[in-house]
Amino acid sequence: MNRKPYIRKQSPTWWVNKPFYRFYMLREASSVPVFLYGLFLLWGLLSLSQGEASFAAWMEMAGSPASSIFHVIVLAAALLHAYTWFQLTPKIVVLRLGKFRVPDQWVMAAHYLIFVIVSAVIIGSSIN
Amino acid sequence: MKQFQRSHEPIAWSLFGAGGMVVAFIIPALVLVSGLILPGMESSAVFGSLLGFAQGWIGKVFIFITISLTLYHTVHRIYHGLHDLHIKGNNTLMLVLFYGSATLLSILCFAWLLVI
Repeated sequence: MNRKPYIRKQSPTWWVNKPFYRFYMLREASSVPVFLYGLFLLWGLLSLSQGEASFAAWMEMAGSPASSIFHVIVLAAALLHAYTWFQLTPKIVVLRLGKFRVPDQWVMAAHYLIFVIVSAVIIGSSIN
Repeated sequence: MKQFQRSHEPIAWSLFGAGGMVVAFIIPALVLVSGLILPGMESSAVFGSLLGFAQGWIGKVFIFITISLTLYHTVHRIYHGLHDLHIKGNNTLMLVLFYGSATLLSILCFAWLLVI
């Protein structure tokens, strides 16, 4: 290829000065604690597969103060993700019934409804 | 015939999109369970019921989908986030590092669910 595309110069801190871009970066950054939580769950699965003593050690770690702080950060990140994700779903899920276009608010409301139901099922089944 | 390199993006974005649903719907409640509810319970009782859950097919599918799609979703965002921060490496290496680790960890998850 001999094309030489013009690449506009951009500072690595291009996102710092605008609130919209800062929020975008915060949203993207929320994936880091959630990734670590994925590893935490995988670790739990490994310890579950290794027997009761190994699982008890994982449970103790899960109840430690450091783990509580980690959980608070992950919860904030996951809720930020959920909020921004539901804001964007009406742009992807465009439902048309004949000439009627299902309003964005309905699509969003349906997602929040599912969120509440899924959360209730997960929390409810963990208590029983 | 000229061979064009296919973009990884359609597959990566599908996994990212599905993972986005998992992180939005499942992870917040799961964080409350693992951070608040489970630590207050007897570990032997939790072990018994979680083991039973992971031994059933519904449990296996739930655990696999939750863990692997969460990992694919987040590595996709981290990969593109590093690009946004102008942190550059060899692109093939970056792809292998991020999507490769999500794939490897998903395979481990699958294997541990099979033997459990």
